[in-house]
Amino acid sequence: MRLALEKRDKKSNSIAFMVPLISFIVSLLLGAIVLVASKANPFEAYAAMARGAFGNARRLQYTIVEAIPLLLCGLSVGIAFRLRFWNIGAEGQYVWGAIGITWVMQFWTFVPDAMLLPVGLVVGMILGALWAGIPGVLKAQWSVDETLTTLMLNYVAIGFAEYLYIKAWKAPLGNLGTPVFPDSAAFSTVWGKIHGGLFIALVLVVILWFVQYKTRWGFELNMIGKNPTAAKYQGVSIRRNIILALLVSGAIAGLAGSINTAAIAHRLTKGVNSGYGFTGIIIAWMAHLNPFASIVVAIVMASLTTGAAALQIAMKLPESMGEVLQGLVLIPLLAGSIFNEYRLIVIRKEAAK
Amino acid sequence: MKKLSVLLVLLLVITVSAFAQGQTEMSEETDAPFKVGVIYVSSPGDFGYSYMHDMGTKAAEEYFGDKIEVIRMENVPENDSAARALEQLVDEGCKIIFANSYNYQDYVLQVAKENPDVYFEHCSGYLSNENMSNYFGRMYQMRYLSGMIAGKMSPTGKLGYVGAFAIPEVIRGINAFTLGARAVNPDATVTVVWTNTWFDPSLERQGAMALLDQGVDVVAQHQDTTEPAKAAIAEGKYAIGYNADFRAITESDNVLVSPMWDWGNYMIPEIQAAMDGTWETQSYWGGLEDDMISLSPVSPLVPADFVAQVEAAKDMIAAGEMDVFWGEIKDNEGNVRQAAGEKMSDADMLSMGWFVEGVIGSTN
Amino acid sequence: MEREKTDVAVVNMQHITKHFPGVLASDDVSLELYPGQVLALLGENGAGKSTLMNMLVGLYRPDSGSIYIRGELQDIQSPQDSMALGIGMVHQEFMLVGNMSVLENIVLGLKDLPFVPKIDQIRKRIIELSSQYGLKVDPDAIVHDLSVGEQQRVEILKLVYRGADILILDEPTAVLTPGESRDLNKIIKKMLSEGKSAIFITHKMDEVIAFSDKVQVLRRGKTVNICDTASVTPKDLANMMVGRDVLFTLDRCAFNPGEPRLALDHVTVDNPNGSRPFLDDVSLEIRRGEILGVAGVAGNGQTQLTEVITGLLKVPEGRVLIDGKDMTNASPLSVIRAGVSHIPADRGAMGVVGDMSVGDNLAMKKYRTQEISHGPVVKRSLLRTFADRLINRFVIKTPNQDTSVKFLSGGNIQKTILAREIDSCGGILIAVYPSRGLDVGATEAVRQNLIAQRDSGNAVLLVSEELEELQMVADRIAVMFEGKIMGIKDVKETNTEELGLMMAGFGGKA
Repeated sequence: MRLALEKRDKKSNSIAFMVPLISFIVSLLLGAIVLVASKANPFEAYAAMARGAFGNARRLQYTIVEAIPLLLCGLSVGIAFRLRFWNIGAEGQYVWGAIGITWVMQFWTFVPDAMLLPVGLVVGMILGALWAGIPGVLKAQWSVDETLTTLMLNYVAIGFAEYLYIKAWKAPLGNLGTPVFPDSAAFSTVWGKIHGGLFIALVLVVILWFVQYKTRWGFELNMIGKNPTAAKYQGVSIRRNIILALLVSGAIAGLAGSINTAAIAHRLTKGVNSGYGFTGIIIAWMAHLNPFASIVVAIVMASLTTGAAALQIAMKLPESMGEVLQGLVLIPLLAGSIFNEYRLIVIRKEAAK
Repeated sequence: MKKLSVLLVLLLVITVSAFAQGQTEMSEETDAPFKVGVIYVSSPGDFGYSYMHDMGTKAAEEYFGDKIEVIRMENVPENDSAARALEQLVDEGCKIIFANSYNYQDYVLQVAKENPDVYFEHCSGYLSNENMSNYFGRMYQMRYLSGMIAGKMSPTGKLGYVGAFAIPEVIRGINAFTLGARAVNPDATVTVVWTNTWFDPSLERQGAMALLDQGVDVVAQHQDTTEPAKAAIAEGKYAIGYNADFRAITESDNVLVSPMWDWGNYMIPEIQAAMDGTWETQSYWGGLEDDMISLSPVSPLVPADFVAQVEAAKDMIAAGEMDVFWGEIKDNEGNVRQAAGEKMSDADMLSMGWFVEGVIGSTN
Repeated sequence: MEREKTDVAVVNMQHITKHFPGVLASDDVSLELYPGQVLALLGENGAGKSTLMNMLVGLYRPDSGSIYIRGELQDIQSPQDSMALGIGMVHQEFMLVGNMSVLENIVLGLKDLPFVPKIDQIRKRIIELSSQYGLKVDPDAIVHDLSVGEQQRVEILKLVYRGADILILDEPTAVLTPGESRDLNKIIKKMLSEGKSAIFITHKMDEVIAFSDKVQVLRRGKTVNICDTASVTPKDLANMMVGRDVLFTLDRCAFNPGEPRLALDHVTVDNPNGSRPFLDDVSLEIRRGEILGVAGVAGNGQTQLTEVITGLLKVPEGRVLIDGKDMTNASPLSVIRAGVSHIPADRGAMGVVGDMSVGDNLAMKKYRTQEISHGPVVKRSLLRTFADRLINRFVIKTPNQDTSVKFLSGGNIQKTILAREIDSCGGILIAVYPSRGLDVGATEAVRQNLIAQRDSGNAVLLVSEELEELQMVADRIAVMFEGKIMGIKDVKETNTEELGLMMAGFGGKA
């Protein structure tokens, strides 16, 4: 007897639902092994994490607040991934969004206070889009590998932001930060800690879903992503679409950066590169590029972050244990996606007839 | 389908047990210890900045014994996570919370405003509130003294300094170190490299290596790990530690001296005041008269008579007879920044963005 | 059924059944091969020929049934197992490393190779084997410099070197010129005389007649007939294969061409990686109501010719005219809008998006139009109606329009492309190897559709490797050799010999 993988005839919806669920349970079991090895009761540890992420209204709010930039970055990366363009530069585009809104808040004194926030968000989007456009043009025009360019541009963006908040745009008082944005330009809150950025993110989910599944452009993106040669033969311009998709992708990541800066940090400061852009890659992948699924995945990922802190307090576990558990959750979820395409079959050795 | 139901039941059990755990914690004893929260930007295992804070925390634990319970959170990022961590500590019942990194400032203030019955102590910032103090020490005084020792011990007079960020706190330290060195050897120079990180063992080491390549024979640092010092020791050169006694950690006498923090001397009275209800908000910048900063024991390689000279300078500073930034002070472009015979104001020191004469490097 | 009882069969597959999701690929098939014999395995695409052979070489495992090699029951789990039993297969796609030498390719993957191989001995052995079987190849030549025929010889040599005496050849002549096919036949005959045996997978009748001793016809996973090749005619075989009578001639209207729709005017395209240009001063025109055939061995500029027309390849010299309008270096989209449809050479790679549904693939030209979209929004209901209409009109066999195209058979994939291109055609149809790899039934459908286009007044350019097809379908035939047009002949005024010579670079310019 042996086990083998066999390609599924077609994808089934129940599998698409069951696979992540089972993967999640497997990861809980894996985590339990690690926890037991560190002499912690896994039930208590998971309970502590769940409480840390959802235990009361305030914590739920924090988890949702954390999920907003993650969701946006997931959407951003997802639109580029549709074209098989591996944009791992959402982090840098996010940082440019933060720079953009800071620029407006700090220097665009001609903008009336009430307009500072919307103008700042738009400028953040534009800078994020332009930053993503660079690797887009390089790829479209000269086939420069995007994995490297997008990755390296992250560090350029982060370095530039550091220069701004350490030196050029530094607040007169204090270190490592620009002046705080005016209060009048703050996001309105929706519920407790949850800010208006949530609406922007949810509206974008609907828009992107519509664009990807219902429009001619979405149809073209799908063609290019699944077979660029065939798309070219159908008269679809690959170059134009790569650049266009990258501009959209960068704009969304930039929006994530400007929203989070306006709503959370209220200034450009250390901590602007929080890794949302990188986590966005995981979100897009796990959500199979589906914007609605991205909501759920973003909340799961956010809860891993917000819940992990509780491990330190309740379980007296080192902070790194939280990161270990976060990593362990990902492995089965990512590996599990293979079962969407394949099923496990058992081959029994048969006697010759 | 049967398998599915088993899995669902399993999931249910986990969830239920999760919230059941939550319930048991609700009942609190009346005679509970006074809860103290601490958040660290790195891990106390770094033998650097957070390590020294944790030494202070441990001193407080020892001092108060059963009367307090400390809840620590380490490696807390300087973003929204800090606000969450602070709130979590509030939820756990902490009455006074210490946050040890500058960039926690906005989040400490935000959570402080929302929780008026909890006291917050933010290290190294400038913002405060009715229930939020900021505190720091005049480390530049110790930097000056360590600079004297470095200037004395360097055969070439070429000193190096691995700095984290070009911010006033670090610049002030470099300037003080340089002034100390030049007080002993007027030709001494201090070459600066920036790492743009507080904590990155590899970058810190590379910074030190770059200095050593340029012929520097004493490496000082404003970083959180012992890596720059270790790099100097490995090359047979001298090092000046920071935060903790690097000579003890590296077991090398090449570490001439280490300016150190003793946060316990601040934390213990603050916790006591919070317990007694006498806590008051303040912006505290303690000098060596308060024992919050100190010098480690000096390496036996340093001549004893010179150590006595350093001790004498220290006593003069403590007595207020002398200070580090006492005019006339020129910057490294020749401009007079502080007129002769005057002591620099705290405001000028806190916004220092230029190097004194003798520093090779740029504040950009 | 008569069987040789004296010898033990070298291959004896008994009651093999293999199930794939939704398909019974092999349904109780038995196969026997005797020493010194060539067995042709004939059948349409999807008849189960390749599946059966893949089980013999260990790529798949049968659900039930047994395989005896030289009389002994074997459990073949992997290609290594089958190689150890002396079974070797030459796949349609060669498994060679292009930038390595012939010798290196042969050494690659050899078992029991010492850490430092004795290259001289290996070279000697290769030279011995190649002269023994007439497999003329230079062991030190780099593979990508070799012609397709030579590469095939390397594949065979590789197997012989490893001691294979049961050879399986999957559609071996599909990529060869008539001359190369004859050479291959000689090689095979030589090997048989040395006691080896061979199985041919094919769907070409002439190949069966030329190569094999025995023929086994498969249809939908079942054996329909096993007979001696000498006792059957191509027509019999075709009927057995398809299960009905097959037309060998096609009805068409009288040849009455109209004004030119598409013209190339002295087009030259250089090959950046080669000495001779892709296209060398090519001029031709295609008129309304005619099919211009392009003959030639693959790789002589046919692909570039069509890419120049469809805007996929830049033209540095010369002009492309559509309806008299200069369309040189126009974008692919504007060429499409000018009325050009394109059935590309490689169905899977260029013609369809395998992971998208049949419906979406059918809509890949018209999604831009009012017929399917309102402004920027694709109307699903319109798309569904549109797709169902094409599926019915072109008799595309698919469970429904939501099935991914990759699950369809080659013939139905090609019908999907034909349907899309013909439906959206603005009068000029470029078809490149449209019947390549298709079975008889599907080929017939493709050809009928092309002729229908011509009859309705469209201009058709048909690139094909099969002279027979061109002679059956085209009105005029242009022969390409090394990027040049060797000549354009009226079908009625030429013959196979003349065209064959032109394909080899002789004669022409009439």
